[in-house]
Amino acid sequence: MPRIERIASISWEGNAARGTGLMTAGAGAFTELPFSIPSRIAVQQGKTSPEELLAAAHGGCLTTSIASELTKIGTPPERLDVSARIIMDEVPGQGHLVVGSEIDIDARVPGASPEAFDAAVAAADASCPFSILLRASASVTVRARLTAT
Amino acid sequence: MAERRAEVTWTGDLASGSGTIERVGSGAFGPLDVSWAARTEEESGGKTSPEELIAAAHASCFSMALSSGLAKAGTPPERLETSATVTFVPGSGITKSALTVRAVVPGLDEAAFREAAEAARVNCPVSQALAAVPEITLDAQLDA
Repeated sequence: MPRIERIASISWEGNAARGTGLMTAGAGAFTELPFSIPSRIAVQQGKTSPEELLAAAHGGCLTTSIASELTKIGTPPERLDVSARIIMDEVPGQGHLVVGSEIDIDARVPGASPEAFDAAVAAADASCPFSILLRASASVTVRARLTAT
Repeated sequence: MAERRAEVTWTGDLASGSGTIERVGSGAFGPLDVSWAARTEEESGGKTSPEELIAAAHASCFSMALSSGLAKAGTPPERLETSATVTFVPGSGITKSALTVRAVVPGLDEAAFREAAEAARVNCPVSQALAAVPEITLDAQLDA
């Protein structure tokens, strides 16, 4: 199997409380996104944060896994609408930790029975690389429902 | 407690279908296109991927943890240039995140800087969330 590498670069100026950073994706899909401590733990004011990027990563990862599982059983999705939420909390003695990821999915899947759909979602969650990683240290909750086609 | 949210849509099967990170809670970016090909082929064609977003999350988290540690020690950084390279092996998963940092920190020697960088690598929340990744490496150097 090929190894695939994906790169992001960050520049940061100043201390943690008042400094700001800029992040740029290797692929050029985004450049110089600003982030800061307040964008991470308080009001975001249009800035992103590591945890928001993890939410986008987990949402994207599980989405492709579900598309894969549904394709395997002969019912590729017409459309998946996915919302991902990463929860960071201050844990006594350990500082800030990612404690949970919650994913909600609305799916239009022509020809899939509710049972087959639920099984495909469970298989996707079990095989999504990022679900596997997060589960080692946080709770991962996936709620999925079929919508009328 | 802080919650951060993102919304993704997908149409079609895995190989030929495509997705979009429609929006994130902050509004800082989106829509961003994602696809299986962008994720697994050598060239990502300008599209992002979960692994690229994890790389951005890890590098930014590490940078903030390091700036915090350096400031607490009385030597806040003037500038940190960080990168993270995340390796994805289809079938095996995410196998590695390699952090590099080049820093301008007035008043700090190399040994103390490396110690602060190692603490940030171990303790930043994204490193802890990625604790199950087999390899998280760090290459830290002070610029003169």
